[in-house]
Amino acid sequence: MAETDIETVQPQLITGALRPDSLAGLPAVEMLHRKFGGSIRAESIDAAGVPVLTIGSDIVHQALSRLKTEPDLGFDFLVDVMGVDRGAGRPIEVWYQLWSNSNGRQLRLVAPVPLDDLTVPSVTDLWRSANWLEREVYDMFGVTFDGHPDLRRILMPENYDEGFPLRKDFPLRGRFGRAEQVRRALNRAMDDTYAREELAMAGLLDEQGRVTGEFEGAAMVDVPHDAEPTDLVDGLEGERMLINMGPQHPATHGVLRLVLQLEGETVERCIPHLGYLHTGFEKTCEYREWNQVVPYTDRMDYLSPMLYNIGYALAVESLLGVEITPRCRVLRVILSELNRILGHLLWLGTTAIDLGAFTVFLYTFQERERIYNLHEAYCGARLTTSVTRIGGMLADLPAGWTTACKSFAEGIDATLDECERLLTNNSIWLGRTIDVGAIDADTAVSFGLTGANLRASGVAYDVRKARPYLGYDAYDFDVPVGRHGDTYDRYIVRVEEMRQAARIIRQALERLPDGPINVDDPAVILPPKSKSMASIDSMIAHFKLVMEGLQVPAGDVWYSIEGSKGELGFGIVSDGGSKPVRCRFRAPSFVNLGALSYLVEGALVADVIAVNASLDIVLGEIDR
Amino acid sequence: MSEARTLPLARRDDGYDTGVPRSWMTTRVDYVVNWARRNSIWPMPFGTACCAIEMMAAAASKYDIARFGMERMSFSPRQADLMIVAGRVSYKIAPVLRRIWDQMPQPKWCISMGACASSGGMFDNYTIVQGCDQIIPVDVYVPGCPPRPEGLIYALMMVQEKIKGESLANDLIRSESADAVGRPNLPPEVIELVAQPFGNSTRQNRISGIERTGAVERPRDRIERLIEHRD
Repeated sequence: MAETDIETVQPQLITGALRPDSLAGLPAVEMLHRKFGGSIRAESIDAAGVPVLTIGSDIVHQALSRLKTEPDLGFDFLVDVMGVDRGAGRPIEVWYQLWSNSNGRQLRLVAPVPLDDLTVPSVTDLWRSANWLEREVYDMFGVTFDGHPDLRRILMPENYDEGFPLRKDFPLRGRFGRAEQVRRALNRAMDDTYAREELAMAGLLDEQGRVTGEFEGAAMVDVPHDAEPTDLVDGLEGERMLINMGPQHPATHGVLRLVLQLEGETVERCIPHLGYLHTGFEKTCEYREWNQVVPYTDRMDYLSPMLYNIGYALAVESLLGVEITPRCRVLRVILSELNRILGHLLWLGTTAIDLGAFTVFLYTFQERERIYNLHEAYCGARLTTSVTRIGGMLADLPAGWTTACKSFAEGIDATLDECERLLTNNSIWLGRTIDVGAIDADTAVSFGLTGANLRASGVAYDVRKARPYLGYDAYDFDVPVGRHGDTYDRYIVRVEEMRQAARIIRQALERLPDGPINVDDPAVILPPKSKSMASIDSMIAHFKLVMEGLQVPAGDVWYSIEGSKGELGFGIVSDGGSKPVRCRFRAPSFVNLGALSYLVEGALVADVIAVNASLDIVLGEIDR
Repeated sequence: MSEARTLPLARRDDGYDTGVPRSWMTTRVDYVVNWARRNSIWPMPFGTACCAIEMMAAAASKYDIARFGMERMSFSPRQADLMIVAGRVSYKIAPVLRRIWDQMPQPKWCISMGACASSGGMFDNYTIVQGCDQIIPVDVYVPGCPPRPEGLIYALMMVQEKIKGESLANDLIRSESADAVGRPNLPPEVIELVAQPFGNSTRQNRISGIERTGAVERPRDRIERLIEHRD
């Protein structure tokens, strides 16, 4: 019997701190005023209740350093770093979204950077999560982070020379015609696909740093640890081997590419390459009306699409100041938890396949088909659901849906028991997962891990408990927390989360109230067809909404929910128009994957598969 | 002997004789070979996005493509017969797609699964290839976003139908030029032609793609602005 050190806890809810009425008296704001009074240019509270301070870009590092280290502030999470370009030559803003798990407070620092000097001090020495987040801002906006150890493009090809896609002056379809883009894509050189460091490892750089040869699979080269990227490394007699894993590999869960440097079976370096599925979601959403963005959201995390739908709708509704109906709230809880199960089930099945257990995959897909049937009965689609509208849902539930959902929520536990019988005490499973890819709580927080990956390390941070939305505080559920932070704990935590999600669904079905599903606001929701054909008011409202689109008041918001992979954030900027100015998706698995190199370096090649699977990544949201 | 000479020679599509007579023997061999090929297709799942999940569903318990002899997903292109491009293809992965296709031995077929793989779908932007047929030749396109597993299974059956009609005597469609390796599948002018956007439903500008995101001006605002301007 394996020792399962999983416990379920009720994280303490610190009330009052979540939605401050004013900035006065907030310790973080007072501290910043005391220390950097002259550099604070503006302060406000955004639509989600987050205090926002606009500061000069020169004090970014000092301010963040103080916020992190001063014990009574304790902003230990750097949740998100994102850029905003408002166009018309205005400075590019860099947003730092912070969360203090001990004090239960959020804070956002905004640093405007003028276009003629796009430089900000890097905070990679404070948080390890900053590494990839800053690289993404550099890739998309061209903001240079001073002191960043590895500032190169992350999503676009490394030698991409057309510009910075999320700038307003960058055309939606790129700077070249389609034929030229295809020609360029197929004529990539070696240094487009490999980092300089990897070429040096493979001995393909000469003294001037030029590429000298073609990379042919596994090159056996001996690379000194202190080699400069331009050092000439000769001889193929070494024992280190450089191999490509992906982008087309059955166990990378999509088109992830890992360049591994091996010594024998041991992984010495792991350099992930992302962006093979970069789809330009954030750019494309700037050209779509508010409700037209919804279909894009579910194509990012296609494993649990409704969580994205619901999170996006909640974020925009917070900007609008719309209060959704009680029936809609409970329905959204049901659908959220249904999709949490959907995402975790796929994770369980594919992870089991990766570690050699095929049967579990078939069991989990049976349950997934049941959820697909519920999806289909509600919205007609199996996995690209697009169920939410700003201010409500696409429709009310069809007859008999709640009964079907109830029988699913009561039957899921049996399937989970079956899967657990196959895995939890299986000696192969235990051998492949216990103590593999372990990460302690402090390092996990520094890497910005969220969701089950963080909770497996013993940090009880769940957005549903920490900042309850959709009335989650009224439901009785536990947060499973691990102790060792290894692959096995991540597995146990996820299985327990599925049971808790089913528990929430059962409670929510009991209390699903009657009443309208959509808000009664003609400026937000289309009137019913029968009404718009009968009354002139409804007809005018219908016409305005269709022709002009929904108008969202000018403002910024950063809103997050608990996705199936972790904290799912939406950074949204509106200028009062019918389309977003900026639509940022803080993809939890993008940040979680940042810890992969740390987790696998020193482990065996076979462990790379186990660890990568256990992080529960989905490339659709990582690459966006 | 004399009878064999009077049989019509099998003709290639371009009109040249292949030298192989179309006899009872070759048609029977064709029948047996095609039967074997179409009932043991090994797919190469090039799954990138949402469609890959439906492809997995097609392989799982409910739909079970093992019924078609296709459950053996071949993750190595060198042992694969059928490439299933399931999901969006970005310009960054286009060379990888082309390379994997070049590595697959003949005879090989390709299914473009879903709207994104077939046409770029809803992503008409700077990073998505507007249809994987710009990169590699495609036999069957499956519409849907994503297609249901039934859609994929129907596409597989269409590939089987296509295999039925092939002949060993006519090897032209199976010949590949070494020059084609790593090249786009379509000439540039065709790519430009097929990549035109559909309609103007999203009010985009074909030339630049730049469009203002600002507030829509309501008639009352415009009147107020005109009044202000007059003053």
